[in-house]
Amino acid sequence: MSANRIPDVTVVVVVYDDAERLPIAVRSVLAQTLDNLEILVVDDHSPDDSYAVAQALAAEHPGKIRAIQLPENSGSGGGPRNAGIEAARGRYLMFLDSDDTLDRHACLSMLAAAEETGADLVSARVVRVHQDKRNKVTQWHPWLYETSRVMDSVLDEPDLVVWDTLSTNKCYRRDFLLGKELRYPTGVVYEDLLFAAEAWLAAERIAIIPNIIYYWNVVERTDRPSVTNRRHEIKNLLDRLEIHRRIDALFARQGEQAGHELKVRKDTKFLKHDLVLHVRDLPHRDEEYRGQFADAVADYLDQIEPEAYQNVGTMHGVCALLTARRDWDDLLPAADSLMNPGKATVPLHVEDGRVYWCDRYLDSAWHRELLDVTELGFHTMPLQELSLGNRLTRLTVEGDEIRFSGSVANVLGRIPADAELTAVLQIHPRRGMLRGRGIEVPVTLRHAGGTVEWEAAAELGRRVHPVGVLDKVWDVRFRLKVDGTATVSGLTIGDVPLDGVRVPVLPITGPISADRFQAVGGKRGELEFWLDQESAAARRSHEFVHRFVNSPSGETTLRRAVAARSLGRKLTGPKTKAKAYAKLFMKLPIRKGTVVFESHMGKQYSDSPKYIYEEMRRAGVPFEGIWSYSGKPTGFPKDAKLVRRGSLEYYRALAQAEFWIDNQGFPRDILKRPETTYIQTWHGSALKNMGDDVPAEKRRTQAQRAATRRMLDRFDYFVTRSQHDADTLVRAFGLRAEVLPIGYPRNDALVDRGAGLAAELRELRTKLRLDDDRRVLLYAPTFRQDDNGAVEFEMPFDLERFGREFGRDWILLVRTHYLDQFSVPPGARDFVRNVSGVHDITPLLLTADALVTDYSSVMFDYALLDRPMFFYAYDYEAYTQHERGTYFDLREAAPGPFTRDEDELFAALRDFDAARDDYADARRDFVRRFGEFDTGTAAKALVQRFFPTGPATEEGR
Amino acid sequence: MTTSGGRNVYIVCNSVDEMGGLTRWADHIARLLAAAGHRIEIIGITPAGTRADYGAELPYTTRTLYTEHPPPAWRARRPWQHANLKARARQMKRDAGMRAAADELTRVFRAAPADSVIVVAQVWAMEWVALADTAGLPVVAMSHESYEATRASGRYARVKRFFANADRLLLLTHEDADAWAVDGLTNVGYMPNPMPLEPAEPADGSAKTVVSLGRLSYEKGYDLLLDSWARICGRHPDWTLRIHGTGGEEANLRKQAADLGIAASVDFAGQTSDVEGALKAGSVFALASRAEGFPLSLLEAMACGLPSVAFDCAPGVREIVRDGVDGLLAVTGNTRQFADHLDALLSDADRRAELGARARADVGRFSPEAVVARWEKVFDLVHR
Repeated sequence: MSANRIPDVTVVVVVYDDAERLPIAVRSVLAQTLDNLEILVVDDHSPDDSYAVAQALAAEHPGKIRAIQLPENSGSGGGPRNAGIEAARGRYLMFLDSDDTLDRHACLSMLAAAEETGADLVSARVVRVHQDKRNKVTQWHPWLYETSRVMDSVLDEPDLVVWDTLSTNKCYRRDFLLGKELRYPTGVVYEDLLFAAEAWLAAERIAIIPNIIYYWNVVERTDRPSVTNRRHEIKNLLDRLEIHRRIDALFARQGEQAGHELKVRKDTKFLKHDLVLHVRDLPHRDEEYRGQFADAVADYLDQIEPEAYQNVGTMHGVCALLTARRDWDDLLPAADSLMNPGKATVPLHVEDGRVYWCDRYLDSAWHRELLDVTELGFHTMPLQELSLGNRLTRLTVEGDEIRFSGSVANVLGRIPADAELTAVLQIHPRRGMLRGRGIEVPVTLRHAGGTVEWEAAAELGRRVHPVGVLDKVWDVRFRLKVDGTATVSGLTIGDVPLDGVRVPVLPITGPISADRFQAVGGKRGELEFWLDQESAAARRSHEFVHRFVNSPSGETTLRRAVAARSLGRKLTGPKTKAKAYAKLFMKLPIRKGTVVFESHMGKQYSDSPKYIYEEMRRAGVPFEGIWSYSGKPTGFPKDAKLVRRGSLEYYRALAQAEFWIDNQGFPRDILKRPETTYIQTWHGSALKNMGDDVPAEKRRTQAQRAATRRMLDRFDYFVTRSQHDADTLVRAFGLRAEVLPIGYPRNDALVDRGAGLAAELRELRTKLRLDDDRRVLLYAPTFRQDDNGAVEFEMPFDLERFGREFGRDWILLVRTHYLDQFSVPPGARDFVRNVSGVHDITPLLLTADALVTDYSSVMFDYALLDRPMFFYAYDYEAYTQHERGTYFDLREAAPGPFTRDEDELFAALRDFDAARDDYADARRDFVRRFGEFDTGTAAKALVQRFFPTGPATEEGR
Repeated sequence: MTTSGGRNVYIVCNSVDEMGGLTRWADHIARLLAAAGHRIEIIGITPAGTRADYGAELPYTTRTLYTEHPPPAWRARRPWQHANLKARARQMKRDAGMRAAADELTRVFRAAPADSVIVVAQVWAMEWVALADTAGLPVVAMSHESYEATRASGRYARVKRFFANADRLLLLTHEDADAWAVDGLTNVGYMPNPMPLEPAEPADGSAKTVVSLGRLSYEKGYDLLLDSWARICGRHPDWTLRIHGTGGEEANLRKQAADLGIAASVDFAGQTSDVEGALKAGSVFALASRAEGFPLSLLEAMACGLPSVAFDCAPGVREIVRDGVDGLLAVTGNTRQFADHLDALLSDADRRAELGARARADVGRFSPEAVVARWEKVFDLVHR
C-alpha cells in the first residue's frame, strides 16, 4: 500500500493492559481480504507493555499500522476510541477490542455494503466465542440479522437500537461521525451503549447485513462475587442505570410518538433482560447490597412505561413490583420462578377467582394486574407437571457425610396434609449417556402446612462412582411422591453457603482424573455437584485431558465415541425397526383372526376404530384385538392386547395381522402384505381441501409424491359417509380402495341419540360435574397450523364476559387439540370445563345441548343430532383462503349462525331459540349433503361384511 | 491501478462447452466482458460430455486441463475398504492428475498481470483452484443455484468448505446470499445473470395466446399449468395455451390435457430455436415450475413486454418479478391461485398492457450493461 493512498477503512484497535492478546487482534486485521486499510492501535496508557507491543507491530508494518498512546489512562473504552476517531484517515471506521477478532472478510463486506447503499452506518452479525467452553459460539441477537436491508431511519426498526447495543459490529462513515460530532462518553463504563444508540439515531441511511464480522471472545465469570468487588459491582450498576437514563433522554428528543415507542421497547428489554441479570444474583447478596440495589433500581422502575409490562412474561412483572417494594421474602422465590419457568415457589393466593403471587399489595388495581399469575396455570396443571419450589435451607459436611435440609412450597395446597408422602434425592451425571450411574438418597419428610420440610444425609464420597471424564457435572433432583404421583424439582440454593461443601471421591479412572465432589451453584441458582481436582497431580492430569480433548486426535476420538453412540441409537431407531419389519417379520406367518386397531396414530382410544372394536366384541366375533397406543396405555381397552406404537412388538403385530383398522395412517414406511386387509375409516373432512387438492402436496418432488402414493395404495377399503366424500376425498387421494358407503361407525351413537351409551354418558356427566340443569355448550375449534407448525391455542373469546352473560344458564365445555395447552381460570371454574383430555368426542357431542365450532369436521357429526350449532369463524379468510382452500363456502352452507367476532357470537348465543328453530331445515339439508350414509348401522354393516359370525346369524337376517 | 486496457479474467468451470445452462451463461458473460475491454479465458477442468456449439469465432480463449474425464473421487468409508487396493491405486492416480492440472493453473495464474481476477463458477472446479497457487490474484466464487437447492444436494458441504475462503462468493440473488450468510459464510454478495436477449420491439399484445417454454419435466410443473388452465379456459374460449419444449413428460401431459378435456385449447408446439419469436407470438407468459434457480425464460418474456404468471418457487423468481407490479406470483402448487391470476390477465387487456410495459422497463436492471457494471464493481472491490 502506498502511504498517500487514502485507506478505505481504518480499524481502531483499542487496548488496555492486554499486551498478550493485542497481536492476535491485529493479525485478524492484517489478514483481511481488504488490503487498502489502516490499523490504528490506541493504548489507554496501559501499565503493561501494550504500547511497546503496538509500536513493534507498527514498525513491522509501516504505513499500515500506527500506534498512539493516551497521555494518561482514561478509565474506560471511550477515551481511546475517541482518540481513534480523531486520528483515523480512512473513509470508513471500525472498532476492535484487543481481546476480540474480526472475520477475515469483515472489512470487505462492510465496505461493499457501505458503498453500494451509501450508508452512514453498516451493522452486521456478531458471534460470541465462549473460550471456556471449547470455543462454543453463540449468536448475538441473530433475529436482527436474518436479512440484508437498507433504511433511512432506525425508527423503521426500533428493535435494532434497543437490542443491538454494541458499537463494535458496525462500520461508520468517518465524515458522518465528524459531521454529527459523535463521540463516546468518557468516565463511565457501558459507554458503548450510549454511543451505539446515538449513532443508530443519527444515521440517515443504515445498511444491515447478515454476514458475521466480529468474534466477541467471552470468558464467563463462574465465581461468586466476593465482598471486595461488591463496591465495584454497585458502581457498575449505577453506571449502567446512568447510561440508561441518558439513552432515555436521547429517546425523548426523538419526538413524542417515536420517543414513546422507543421507550416502551427499551423498557420491555429492561424488564426482560437487565432486570433478570440483576435479580438473578440477589439471593447471593447481603442486606446492604440489596438495599443499595433497591434504591437504585426502584427509582428507575418507577418510570418504566406500563405498556412494557404487556410485552413481558408474568413473572417479570411480579419481580419488578417486588423489587420496587424491596420485598425480599417474596422476591427471592419469584426470581427463582423467573429463572426456572413453570416452577411455583410460593404457596400463592387465590382471591375473586384469580391466582396471585402473594396476598400483599392487592389494594391497587395496577398491582393486582402485575401479581395476577392465573395464566401460568399452576392451579390446573397436573401435579406431575408442576415443578414445586424447593429451597435448600442447610447444606453441611459432617465427617464423610453431606447433610441436606430443605423446604418444598405447598403451592395452592396441592399437597394435602393427609397425603401419603415419600421422597428421594437423585444425584446423577448431567450427561445423558451416563445418567444411569446416578444414586438415590432417602429423605425424611414432615408436612408443615404451607411447606413440606425435609432432610437427607449421605456419604456421597463413598456412594457415587464417577467415571472421572465426561461426568464432571452432577445434577441433584428431588423426587416427591404425593399419593403415588411424582413431582420433580431442583434444589434452590438461595443464600446457603456452599464453600467447603465437598467430600473426597475416587473416580473409576483413578485419582488423577479427579479427587473430590464439590457442591456448586448452577446457572439457574440450583444445586449441582462438580467433580474437581484438589491435588497438583490431579490438576495436571486434568489439564492434560483438557488439552487432549481439544487436540485433533482428541477430536477424532470424541467423534468416534459419538459415532459409536449414534450407531447404538440407529440400532433401536424407527428405520431399523422398519427394516426388521421388512426383512424378518414379513416372513412370519399371518395370524388369522388378529386385528390391529389404531386411532389418530395411537394417541387415543376413540373414533370409528373404537366403535368397530366394540361392535365386534358385542357381536361375539372371535378375534384377537390389538390396540396401538403412543404415550400412556391408560384409557385403552383392558380386553385387548396393547402394543406401543413404534415398538418392535408393534411392527411384529402389524406384519402378522389379518386386518388393519385405523382412521389416519400406519407408519408410512412399512409395506402391507397382500394377505392383510386394511380398512381405512378416515376421521372426517369435507370442508378443507385434501390430498392432491392441497398446494403443499402438489409442489412436492416426484419421489415424495410416489411415497405418498405407496402409502395410500395400501388401503383396501375406505369408509365414507356421503357422496360428497367420494367426490372430494376419494378423488383427491386418487384411491384405488373399494369405497364403503356405509357411514361412520363412530356416528351410529349420534343417530340413535346415545341409546347404547347411557352408562358412559352418566359417568361423563359426573366426571365433568354437570350436576345442575344448566345447558351444556361445547366449544370445539379446529387445530391451527401455519408454515412454522402448530399455532399456540388462545381462547378466542372472553371467558369472563361469557361467565357474566351466560354463566347462570350455560356450562361451557372447551375441547382443544390434544397438543394445545388450555387452563381454566379458577374464577371460571363454575361455568367452564376443560374436556381436551377426554379421548372420545362422541359422548361429549351427545352431552352437549349446542355446539360452537369454526371449521372442525365435528360440525358434520354434530349435525346428525339436529341440535343448534354456532359458527365462530373469526379468521375465515385467513384460514381458508391463504393456502389450503375449501370444497365449499361455509359462509353459505353453515346450518347455524355464522359469526365473525365475539359480539356477533354472543348475540347469536343470546338468541338461542332462533338458532334452534330458524336453522332446522338447514341442518337437515346439511346432513343430506354431507352425511347421508350415516344411518346408525355403520359398525354393524362393517362387522357383518368382514367378520360374519357364522351361518346362524346369516340366516337370522 | 486498473490498467486501461482491461483485466485478464479467468472463468473456471467444470467444462468449457458442456451442453447446459452454466456454460451458456459463461459464454454470454465472457462475450459481454470481452466487449467491455477485458481479456477472457474460460478454463474447463474436463472435456464436455455432450458438446454445445458456441460458434467458431470466439471473442475469448479457452483451455481444458484434462484430456479425459478423471475417475470419481474415492475415500474409504469403512475400515475394511482401506484394503481395496484397486480403488486406492485409482485414487492415487487421480490425486496425481489433480496435482498436474493444478500445476497448469498455477502457471497460468503466475503469468497473469496483478490486476487479473479468477472467477470460479462451480464448486467442483474450485477443488482444482484450491490446489493451485493463485499467485495473489483474488478469487471470486459463484454458485448458480438457490441456497435451498444446494442445501438439498451433495454440494452443500463442498460449498462451505471450498468457497468460504474465496475473496467473494456471489449468489444469484440477494435472498440466497442472505441465506448463506445466516448459514455462516461471511464473504457473500450477489450477482444476477444477464438478460439473454434484448428485443428492439416488444410483443404487440394482440395474440390471444398464453406462452410457456422449457423442458417438459416434472420439476417444470406443466401438469400444474394444465390443471390451472382447465379451471379457466372455459371462460376464455378464444385463447390458446402454447407450450414450447420437449421432454420425458410429454406423453403424460398430452394425456392429461385430453383427460381434462382441454386438448383443443392447448398447443404442444415443440422445441423452438427462435425464443424471441415464440414469446412475441403470445400476450401472457406462464411459468409453473416447482423449482428454479434464476429463470432466464422469465427475463426473456419480460424483455418482450409480456406480463407473467409464475409460481413463487425460488428466490430467483421473486428477485425477477415483483408481484402485482410487473407480473403475478402464486404460492407454489396453488393452482387455483395460479388460475385466478391467468384469469385476471386474460380478462383485462389494459392490465396486461400495464404489467407488460412495467416488466419490460423493470427487467432493465438485468440488462447486459447493468450486469457488466456490477461485475466491474466486483473486480474493483476485490482489488482494493
